[in-house]
Amino acid sequence: MRDPGFMVQDQAHETAPDPRARDVEVQLTRAGLGVARRLGDRAGGLLFDRLLRILEARHPRAFAALGELPDARLLIDPVDAPAALLLRVGPTLALRVCDRSAEAEATVRGPCARLLDLLEGRIDGDALFFRRELSIEGDTALILALRNTLDGEEMDLFGDVAAAAGPLRHALPVARRNAGRALDLLATARRFAPPPLRWGMTMLERRLTGPRQGA
Amino acid sequence: MSSFELICPAGSPAALRAAVDAGADAVYLGFRDETNARNFPGLNFSRPELAEAIAYAHARSVQVFVAINTYPQAGNLAPWQRAVDDAARLKADAVILADLGLLAYAAEHHPELRLHLSVQASAANAEAIRLYREAFGVRRVVLPRVLTVPEIARLNAEVDVETEVFVFGGLCPMAEGRCSLSSYATGLSPNKQGVCSPASHVRYEPRGEALASRLGGFTINVFGAGEPAGYPTLCKGRFVPGGGTSSDPAYLFEEPTSLNALALLPELKAAKVCALKIEGRQRGKAYIAAVVAAYRRALDAFDRGLPVPALDLEAMVEGGAQTTGAYTRAWR
Repeated sequence: MRDPGFMVQDQAHETAPDPRARDVEVQLTRAGLGVARRLGDRAGGLLFDRLLRILEARHPRAFAALGELPDARLLIDPVDAPAALLLRVGPTLALRVCDRSAEAEATVRGPCARLLDLLEGRIDGDALFFRRELSIEGDTALILALRNTLDGEEMDLFGDVAAAAGPLRHALPVARRNAGRALDLLATARRFAPPPLRWGMTMLERRLTGPRQGA
Repeated sequence: MSSFELICPAGSPAALRAAVDAGADAVYLGFRDETNARNFPGLNFSRPELAEAIAYAHARSVQVFVAINTYPQAGNLAPWQRAVDDAARLKADAVILADLGLLAYAAEHHPELRLHLSVQASAANAEAIRLYREAFGVRRVVLPRVLTVPEIARLNAEVDVETEVFVFGGLCPMAEGRCSLSSYATGLSPNKQGVCSPASHVRYEPRGEALASRLGGFTINVFGAGEPAGYPTLCKGRFVPGGGTSSDPAYLFEEPTSLNALALLPELKAAKVCALKIEGRQRGKAYIAAVVAAYRRALDAFDRGLPVPALDLEAMVEGGAQTTGAYTRAWR
């Protein structure tokens, strides 16, 4: 069955990626988590602080609402990524990469692609929960408040970051349009690469993005 | 002219835009407080957001109804009366009320404001509906989800008030506005604080491959591996009756399932139902856009005499299952 949650893509986001571009974005997100974990607390922290500032500038209403919540930590665990995220809401808003066993008042677990869709309001969280694709533990009110706040926005993680990148923002729609063709070229190049190089590329991918679900 | 008005939910400005863009005739919503029956964290509208929402909807010829459908607390009427005043000031097309005192207040202070009777009033017979009409000028009644279609048809033949019925979404099998199951378990009332199964009292616990849902310390369901999960509402809990002598927990009132009355459009039209309502102010904008668009397509096809397309929304509903609920329930 098709996923009805994706029906809103074109309405919500003018530059919504096609499924293959979306797959690239999910891979980049997983890779980003892997890189952030390797950067360590200090450099990784600076990176996430910058990301939060970019998103706050684009979505002030949501960030004001998150700031008004009681001080609490939410563990966001993309089960197919190399690391998890710890979001601190309340007066001291912060986002850090963390181990998936980190202590938190609430936890949300699911595949990285689904969590990204949820962040951007492309899919309905209740539907994911009913289908057991998403699991939650701990303070349900905190999770609901976060979900409802984010769903009230029209967030586009890569679009928002690109918009803060000056002239580079024009590159994102082009990249999204051409992602399919670029992936085809990459797959062809990979097929004709010598076996050691091919194996090296696969290992690098795994190190950066973690094991793929079902792989 | 359309056979029915399509009345759609919105829990946020983004959800309202999704509903309007997907083909709603009217959107219903509430203020961000205990004056409405979906008082969940992070949900609903501030006054400035309502003003923007009304401007967006009216620019597209879509109406906005404001639900102020909980019961005011004794000695604290001000939030409810202020909600009515603000809805009128901001040019809402109707307010959806349940409380007798609030209906009287709205009728007296805002005679130009259209009054709808909320499902929370549980008005299920002609005498009650006539009283609301005569005493307060109520123009439309949202019928409780406990009537069969023949009962709705008989009711409509006896009253001079528009009727609106739920056709899709979460299914409350109780006499709404009078159910205390959640209050008993949590100490918070759906009818006074606007929270059935408040999130603050809900916990989900993994038990191996199973998932347990708990409300106010009571385990109300355990979903097996791969079994679709449901909301943590007591009316859809699975229990062991008979003092725990039975080995298998069973659903006592209703299973986790979602209402879908699409197959009943001809009967609802014959019963002279005026408006069809989609439940789900607590749901995300993706759900609202998908469900409203599917119902819009279905109603447009119905109006043109074409076969009504199937909705294909099972993946989005509670329990992954749909029912026509009390509308066709044989035992009634």
